[in-house]
Amino acid sequence: MYEVLMFDGGVYKINELYELIEDVGGFVIQKTQVQVQITVTLAIPEEERPVIEAKTVELGGKLIDVPLAGTEIAVVAPTLGRHHMPHPTCDIAEQLRRAGAITVVMGLARGKGRRTAQISADEKAVIEEYDAAIFVLGNFKDCILEHKVKLFEDLEVPVVVVCGPEVGSLPSCEGLVCGVGRKVERMRREEEIHKLEEVSAQVEKVVRQKRQELDEDPLFVHPAEIKDRIAELEAVQQSLRPAPIVLHLDGLRVKIPYDEWKDQIADVEVYGRRLGDIAEITDSRLGGSTLIRIKTRAEVESR
Amino acid sequence: MSEHDESFAYRNFDTILRQVMAELNVTRMVTDYRIKADPDAPYFLISLRLGRARSSIKVSDMAIVEPAQDGGKITITDENWAPALLTRLWQEYGRDAVEQLTRFELIVHGANADVLEDMELDPGEELRSKVLDAVWRIFPEGFKVRHNLVDDQVMTILGTEHDMEDEWVRIAEELHEEMHHERKEDD
Repeated sequence: MYEVLMFDGGVYKINELYELIEDVGGFVIQKTQVQVQITVTLAIPEEERPVIEAKTVELGGKLIDVPLAGTEIAVVAPTLGRHHMPHPTCDIAEQLRRAGAITVVMGLARGKGRRTAQISADEKAVIEEYDAAIFVLGNFKDCILEHKVKLFEDLEVPVVVVCGPEVGSLPSCEGLVCGVGRKVERMRREEEIHKLEEVSAQVEKVVRQKRQELDEDPLFVHPAEIKDRIAELEAVQQSLRPAPIVLHLDGLRVKIPYDEWKDQIADVEVYGRRLGDIAEITDSRLGGSTLIRIKTRAEVESR
Repeated sequence: MSEHDESFAYRNFDTILRQVMAELNVTRMVTDYRIKADPDAPYFLISLRLGRARSSIKVSDMAIVEPAQDGGKITITDENWAPALLTRLWQEYGRDAVEQLTRFELIVHGANADVLEDMELDPGEELRSKVLDAVWRIFPEGFKVRHNLVDDQVMTILGTEHDMEDEWVRIAEELHEEMHHERKEDD
């Protein structure tokens, strides 16, 4: 199974690190260089970590665990009103970003209230584009147990619920963190920071499970390998969006319009095959983006 | 009533009401408050006892007014009213005409001292709207159907999601009345 790490160090002899990553069968996910300092997010087979650690020491850098790197996670609040936003939704999103995830905060159009709270098919489809979803709910146990569970009961992506009261367990979710509730200021007290770490740990757990499931029927190629090739497309290079290519556990989101670029994306060559043959390329519900879901090795070979 | 233990919700609403009131600077305006909620019904009820009567006050009751060379000089004796007085003077005479000598002393150029003495202030409206703002901030977002009981001393707001029931209105009225009585006992 791949392990995602971040190297933080200088650029001196950095090519040796890249070569080593390639030799052990790993990938570079992202490089960010600021003058002579560089951070490299990399994915390597987990048994190869000691070799990379040794090289990091040799280069005078440090290796940081970023367990959520290469994932895109949706943090969902019942609405975008000030009753649910910005705290603690934004604090949770920030915590996940620190663990390496790309996060998106969204509010439901009609998520407010008790019996009136609902989620539309469109909203579900948007959430299902992400690797996992976190639902940030409120204070009343009755409301959560009787009504709010319906918001995420049909979702196919793993769900982590964050709520106020101690509810023991909830159906249709893979992770649960209680004791947060509504906040009107940032979560910066010690016990609140522990709660944020707990949320992060729960998300890591569900992401690890999803990675293990993927490893049972491995993808034809790792998303990071496709990333480099897609990054060569003109539209991607000209894109002004902060992260034009976002890695998912089983594919990528490319932030260029599907209708204009679907053919060029499908024609990208990966190990002698067309990308269109080894992946499903679809339009994203979020305008101006294209989703690529890589097929498993078995799916490709059985064709 | 809800069959679930809602103690977390009560504790949390208590905390967020305190924090919101502190943020809006109205903590001193509210001497007591009660929150009642039944998520199973559902209704949410909040009652606040206001610290000061909402009646207007004359400038002569909170400051000493003397004639000055080209206007009136005001020496504030009750600083609680200073922001309201300053706002009113700016509205009436313009910022240029109001000169602040010290924290308590003002000179209003071109104003008649007798007129200044008789001027009435009603900061209650502004403060009441701030308290209401605090209530809206903590009130559950979906509870749009509301019933208000407001007078000079107590503000009680009841909200629900669908139809308002007479029984909940009666609970609100009882709580409203209770808050009044407790005030008398305190007095």
